[in-house]
Amino acid sequence: MAAVEIGTGKIAVLVGEITRGRSLNLIGVGVAPSRGVLKGEVVDYKAACEATHHALETAEKRAGARIEEVWLAQTGAHLDAFYNEASVNVKSADNTVTALDIASVCALAKEKELPAGRSRIHEIRRPFRLDGRAVPDPEHLTGRRLEVGYWIVHGPESKISDNIHVVGGYHLEVRELVLASLASGSLLTSAEERAQGVLVIDIGKGVTDYVLYRAGHVLVTGTLPVAGDHLTNDLSIGLRVTPAQAEMLKLRHARATTLTRDKTDKVWLNGDASFGDRQLPKMAIETIASARILELLEVVRQKLGPAFVPEHCGAGVVLAGGTAKLPGIEDAAARVFGLPARGGEPPGWVKDELKDPMFSTVLGVFQFGLRAAHEHTVPRRKTGLLSNLTKIFAAS
Amino acid sequence: MNPVADNSPLPPGRSWRHIRQEVKPLAMSRQGRRRQLAAWLKVGALAAFVVGSGWGVYAFARSWATDRAALATAVHSEPVREVVLITDGVLTRDWTVQRLALPKAASLMVLDLPALRDRLLASGQVRVAVLTRDFPDTLVVTLQERTPVARVQAADSQGVAKQLLVAKDGVVYDGINCDREMLARLPWLDGIRLVKSGNGFEPVAGMAEVSALLSTAQLQAPHLYREWLIVSLARLAGRDEIVVKAQEVPEIVFSRKRDFYKQIAQLDSVIDAAHRLETVPALLSVNLALEGQVPVRLQGTPDELAATPAPVFSIQPLPRKTKRDF
Repeated sequence: MAAVEIGTGKIAVLVGEITRGRSLNLIGVGVAPSRGVLKGEVVDYKAACEATHHALETAEKRAGARIEEVWLAQTGAHLDAFYNEASVNVKSADNTVTALDIASVCALAKEKELPAGRSRIHEIRRPFRLDGRAVPDPEHLTGRRLEVGYWIVHGPESKISDNIHVVGGYHLEVRELVLASLASGSLLTSAEERAQGVLVIDIGKGVTDYVLYRAGHVLVTGTLPVAGDHLTNDLSIGLRVTPAQAEMLKLRHARATTLTRDKTDKVWLNGDASFGDRQLPKMAIETIASARILELLEVVRQKLGPAFVPEHCGAGVVLAGGTAKLPGIEDAAARVFGLPARGGEPPGWVKDELKDPMFSTVLGVFQFGLRAAHEHTVPRRKTGLLSNLTKIFAAS
Repeated sequence: MNPVADNSPLPPGRSWRHIRQEVKPLAMSRQGRRRQLAAWLKVGALAAFVVGSGWGVYAFARSWATDRAALATAVHSEPVREVVLITDGVLTRDWTVQRLALPKAASLMVLDLPALRDRLLASGQVRVAVLTRDFPDTLVVTLQERTPVARVQAADSQGVAKQLLVAKDGVVYDGINCDREMLARLPWLDGIRLVKSGNGFEPVAGMAEVSALLSTAQLQAPHLYREWLIVSLARLAGRDEIVVKAQEVPEIVFSRKRDFYKQIAQLDSVIDAAHRLETVPALLSVNLALEGQVPVRLQGTPDELAATPAPVFSIQPLPRKTKRDF
């Protein structure tokens, strides 16, 4: 299997091999600069295909294996989500909850129709409630009223299709779509942290994904079309430099919190004494960057709305994504959310070369595949006889 | 924009799994089309394998139902009852059976065919031997035999002289069942040393040239070839010369470096020229090994030869082609 992230800044592919039917080993990596993708959406099919297929081919070559199916990360401002709840009266005379009750309440909660042209990506269940008390599994328990809620993530079918078809253009099947925020969140937090409550914010180049866990369950997910590119854009406009120069300044001198107090402290624009090179006040760079980061984090907090309660978020804030490498971003997050914040630390099985925060999403997707290999819970897409025969032959 | 996007209205609330993942070939990259082709080839190979296996099972089942005995005999073959010989030479089935010395009541399946083939190849007369099992009880032997080029005289283990044959590749063999008249027409080989090797002799070196000379003569000038009695290889290693003793001319010297066809043509011209003279001279030697001239030695003492007018042999040279000027 392969985990694929078609991001705004880069396209990353990780290839894994399921050994002995249970464990997944990482055997190949392919990374390519992204093209034809804006804020997580494919805007130039050909360019996106070229970049993605190059990354896939590189990963296949390094792995020395042929990819058979793909787990694809999904992000972008086009994604939306809502919460839908349903309740049923327990049918049996002795008020014992049966599997039928559970199935019917789940079906009812998921039944909510979406606007035309939109497709479901995830249906994330929250805990069951039996007569108002939260229970992980209500079967065989006694109660009168069974309730359950689903966090349903959906997006426009045309844009989801574009992502899927970019992979399909390499003659590959997408086995599962994984929300980028869920991928990062599951990778960078432990079960204990999720039980305590934790907010994970993945700030990429084009979009910012976030997920809020409470009591071990996903409470809210979301995506903002604001991220590192906006920081670069602000620097470009504010300092009157080209976007490429602004990007360089961001990587070299930007901070999420202002540290420099001396207005005369200056940095060179290019630093190579070339024609047009000039000095810029370091304080201005830090001020612009910190203002944008604080604004971004404020927007996340606003989007979370009443769902975010600092008292229910004991494990604090975890930051991921390429922009999370900005110095001082933990302090900025702590100031905005009033909680301790830290950079996400990938688990020990991750190779050193992939420990960069920008690989959090693709690693998280990979971990989803690993879990599926363990649990065998992900239903396979229905495929034709010919496709199955091909797979049997490929496996032999 | 994505050329495969479906613009038809979609029912509300579909899962992403309902999205059609297949992409038209035109919307695929080069790598994608290559992968698709590889997948089709795999499917084709798999289909061929399945069809082949199915046909095999069907054929087995049919044989099982209709002719179970044939299957049984294939698996448990019967003792060899017949040996069939197919040959391009003169060896007989009796000789073959005797040579093979098959164990009595030996099953066809237990026969060691490579060992049996080696027994046949031990006779120099057999060049190629192929043995095949023809179930249920027949062994088919196909032979290709050597053709003799010349004869040679050798002593057997009791010291009695016997005639052996020499093939084009220099192999010396007994020549079983060969036609006596054909053997009588073969020239004798001289100037060689037979070296013992096992039960036979080492191959004679230089027989390829001898064979080329004899076959050219046999084909182009059979009237000359009939007269040839002995072919000597004594000077072959040292001077690249093959010396032939004919009934009319005691010594005809050929060079293996020159075209045999040309040399035989020159010999024919010399003999013809000699026969056209009023007094036919007795030729003692004709040397064809030299380029541009053919020395001829006549019989008689110097005085006798001096007394008679010298015969004139005229071999008109062919007009030479002018070289193209560059």
